[in-house]
Amino acid sequence: MKMLAPALLVAVASTQIALSRTFDLTAWKGGGFGMFSTLDHAGYRGVDIVVDAPDRSESLQVPASIELAVARAAACPADRMLRAVAEAVVARERRYQRPVSRVTLTFWRADFDRATLRPSERPVRTFVYDVP
Amino acid sequence: MRPVALRELAFSSHGWNSAPAPAVELDAAGPEPQPARSPGRARDVAMCLTAIALLLRPMGPWFVRPAILAVAVLMILSPSMLRSALAWSAIAAMVAVRIADDWPLADNHIYLLGYWAFAIALSLRTAGGEDTLAFSSRWLIGLAFVFAVLWKTMLSPDFLDGRFFRVTLLTDARFGDAAQLIGGLSAEQLAADRKALQLLPEGAELLDPPSIDEPARLRLLAMAATWGIIALEAAVALAMLLPASAVGSSVRHVALLLFCGTTYLFAPVAGFGWLLLAMGVGQLDERQTALRRVYVAAFIIVIFYGEIPWAGLALGAGRG
Repeated sequence: MKMLAPALLVAVASTQIALSRTFDLTAWKGGGFGMFSTLDHAGYRGVDIVVDAPDRSESLQVPASIELAVARAAACPADRMLRAVAEAVVARERRYQRPVSRVTLTFWRADFDRATLRPSERPVRTFVYDVP
Repeated sequence: MRPVALRELAFSSHGWNSAPAPAVELDAAGPEPQPARSPGRARDVAMCLTAIALLLRPMGPWFVRPAILAVAVLMILSPSMLRSALAWSAIAAMVAVRIADDWPLADNHIYLLGYWAFAIALSLRTAGGEDTLAFSSRWLIGLAFVFAVLWKTMLSPDFLDGRFFRVTLLTDARFGDAAQLIGGLSAEQLAADRKALQLLPEGAELLDPPSIDEPARLRLLAMAATWGIIALEAAVALAMLLPASAVGSSVRHVALLLFCGTTYLFAPVAGFGWLLLAMGVGQLDERQTALRRVYVAAFIIVIFYGEIPWAGLALGAGRG
């Protein structure tokens, strides 16, 4: 009985490590106690959004209404998270009566040079959502 | 419900009031007076501090936040609520809902809070609950620190080489004052370094990229922070997980208090500090009143760490 809570901690933290290795879950989140261990966190991760339609190809700033979905996807850029962002983008575009046939999401993160610390943005994953 | 709490639970019996209990004075001529025992008092203090921590940092979406706050208030006002396994199970469940609601964005100490509330609920249902809680506290803290050290030393690519603190001291506004005060940066250098560390859009490159100015003291601070935090976290992990025959309980408390006393002076996560300190109290027995006071004092000190911009004030005073 007294091992239940510690066992739960080990199970969640081990899963977090597995998710960080398989789905790029940031070390800072997910219950693995990797906070303050790496620069790979929300400040240096992001998702770029491009919306396409027959006569349109436009890069979008992240609107406030989908900030939470984007933050979740940036922390763990798994298909499910990225699809949620794409669907939110489509819903928003339709609310504003703008055409949209495809949403392309690019998950990126920053690397810092070991010697000079100079940062560079590195695309890690591209997710294409064709609007059904 | 009987309104009482803090005085009765934690602070009025032996160890907390300077005035001795009347019963002790009356018996002074007889055999050595024994102060009245109140079983589980250390656990009560641990639970009370946890409830206070819940109130100090309200959390969660609208459908759990008011309930967590309400239960925490009732726990502080009512000893029966404080000792209710059902109430602590409800807190653990609401914390789990809070984590699931915006997964994976919850901070790690929210997870630890959930395990801790669960452990309290279990301890309140079992005979010898104080021992169960002390055991859970040691293992939860020890394992959390094992994973923290694992991430820093083996899983992260940019911690041991110092990059994490070199960049964080320059770019994280919460560390800016400390970087200037201890690292010897001027405000102008800090602003220039922040500009130089700004991300450029993918593929973009400056013709003449600015260099990052890191005074020797700042590099030293970054390295001291890097290795200091590993040493402290490893010490806490070992102290908590090694058997009592290898590590005395006082070593465990010294390691935990040292970690909280130094880390939360800089780290802007007071909630984590309060939780660790409440869990530390959960390992005390009834005789360790002095340590209990130290833990409560440390809990209050962490409040001051979080609320007073000490580095900014020192910096301002230094500039005259």
